[in-house]
Amino acid sequence: MTHAEVNLDRGYAVVALQGEIDLYSSPQARELILGCLEEGRPTLVDLSAVSYIDSSGVASLVEGLQKARAGGLAFALIGVSEAAMKVLQLARLDTVFDVYSGIDACPAVS
Amino acid sequence: MNSQPISSQQLERIRPSDLPAPPREALRVVQACTDPAIDNPQLAELIERLPKLSAELLRLSNSSFFALRSQVRSIAHAVSLLGHRNLRNLSLCLAMRDAVAADAIPGFDLEAFWEDALRRGVAARLLAGEVGLDGDEAFTVGLLQDFGLLIGFYLRPDRSHEWACLRPLDPEARLQAERTLFGMTHAQLGQTLARQWALPDELNEVIGLHHAPVLTDLEPHVQSLCRLARSADWLAAVYTADDSRGVIRRCRELLRGDWGLEFAATDALLDHINQAMAEAAQALNLPIAHQTGLDEVMRAANLRLAEDNLSFQEMTLELERALDERNRMAHELERELTLAREVQCSLMPRREVPRGRVIGVNHSARRLSGDFYDYFPTRNEQVWFAIADVSGKGMNAALLMAKASSLFHCLGKVLVDPSMLLATLNREIAESAIRGMFVTMIIGIYDVHSGRGKLANAGHLPALQAGSDGAIREFPAQAPPLGVLPEGRFPAVEFDLTAGELYLFTDGLIEAEVQGAPLELEGLTGLIRRERHLELEQRLHRIMDAVIPASGSPRDDLTLLAVDLTTLE
Repeated sequence: MTHAEVNLDRGYAVVALQGEIDLYSSPQARELILGCLEEGRPTLVDLSAVSYIDSSGVASLVEGLQKARAGGLAFALIGVSEAAMKVLQLARLDTVFDVYSGIDACPAVS
Repeated sequence: MNSQPISSQQLERIRPSDLPAPPREALRVVQACTDPAIDNPQLAELIERLPKLSAELLRLSNSSFFALRSQVRSIAHAVSLLGHRNLRNLSLCLAMRDAVAADAIPGFDLEAFWEDALRRGVAARLLAGEVGLDGDEAFTVGLLQDFGLLIGFYLRPDRSHEWACLRPLDPEARLQAERTLFGMTHAQLGQTLARQWALPDELNEVIGLHHAPVLTDLEPHVQSLCRLARSADWLAAVYTADDSRGVIRRCRELLRGDWGLEFAATDALLDHINQAMAEAAQALNLPIAHQTGLDEVMRAANLRLAEDNLSFQEMTLELERALDERNRMAHELERELTLAREVQCSLMPRREVPRGRVIGVNHSARRLSGDFYDYFPTRNEQVWFAIADVSGKGMNAALLMAKASSLFHCLGKVLVDPSMLLATLNREIAESAIRGMFVTMIIGIYDVHSGRGKLANAGHLPALQAGSDGAIREFPAQAPPLGVLPEGRFPAVEFDLTAGELYLFTDGLIEAEVQGAPLELEGLTGLIRRERHLELEQRLHRIMDAVIPASGSPRDDLTLLAVDLTTLE
């Protein structure tokens, strides 16, 4: 992963991941996603700049989803790149995650 | 004794009775201080009715540490001199100090905990003075910011001995260690307590968020307090961390970044902390051990460095010994891995089926694989087959693979429906999988006489069926992988082996690079068509040979399984 950052926007913590999310970069992605959820923030993961994601990267998203559900927090993927979407669709994970085109399409934080 | 981490569900369920009993008298004063309807005489009257608290507040107000302008003679005088806010903060400090009794956590060094907390309070107060913030409020924040750690050990007294390992860590490493120890940090635990005890909002936020990566959505005042708490944490750690040199370096950088302080100003502040500790301890009536001065800390750190640099020969010898030890351990690990791999290979069978053939091939990128396949005949002339891929790599993937594989094998002996088997497997895996790990899997069962059967695909790549006319039929995933969510349906579809053989494979195969580009599904179907004239086992090996690099070491695990009704002549 070349770069990852967290921003706050409309009540969400937005974790923006970039580049390749693989065995080497997914621990950083995991740390950021779980960090936001541990703080009790509704969290979005922006995958618009992700060029490749492997199963360890997907596992970080799954762990985020599981943690968010356990804590009753909103968790969604936004701007999913074509490469990442292909991986999610093949595994039917697009049926498990809430996926939005961008933060504008997400429901307002209650 | 329960030694599981505290889960977030448990945290949500913590009841007031699980926590230390709040010191009600002091908390009543805290609440009265924030009530605008209560005036000075009323507040003084309330405090005077609490003799122990009155005596403590008078001692605090007259202590050299808090150094008020004039001698405080009575509670009424203290109320008017200190003001409601400072009085609230001092009462809060006293309340929290008494919240956990000395014998409440057997084996826990409560005095050392409060000594460290006091050091953070002193550090926060001194830093506040440097940067123009309210010193008394800063002291309260510093003293109470890590109260959650005490709650962690209170809820898990069986872990109290771990405190000795946590104490010498720097604040970042300590946070990580807390996650491992309790499943969460002192910030989360502290915030739960602060909510239960209805502590003032800004203190609640600082306790919960002083390690947060993002602070920008907080009130500016709370942001300042969070930064102050973080700085105080690092400043105080200079006196307890093993790596005091490293912590001093971090302090200098942090205080320059957050507060614009020069390195020399940070060093002076560190020096003052030690000097102010005795006064603060007396004011709060906390026993503390002999304080090591910054000079002494630095001398000890330098001495350690010098000792480390001394005796080069000794170091070389030590290194040689360490290398021998490493080689011995590597050899042992190698042996263990070989054994583990053998166990794993035994899970991927080579056995006869009553009619037709099932053949699997597996090449693992690492010695331990996250892929597996299995097949076995049932008592009523049917054959189960499966292929799966566990997310991630290495030992944890291999262990989950072993679990999924043995569950499949056991359940296959009692169930005949792929949907039901996958749903059961999914619940079992979802209950125990950690770190978001999941398993993509196809399972199927067919009748050896008719060749007809059903398969279900949970998040795995499509199974392929090669028809005699060269057409390839795909069986894509109908459900997400196993372990993602505990509930879910796994629809099955029908197939007929008389129409052609089935191929099941893992993603390593189609992501393998062939002539500089990934094989992809199209490449695999092309290979299947091209090699179809070969006998089945030869065909599988030819396909594998085409994707395994000349170096013999694939990037990912490669697994290919074929199910065919025709028998080798």
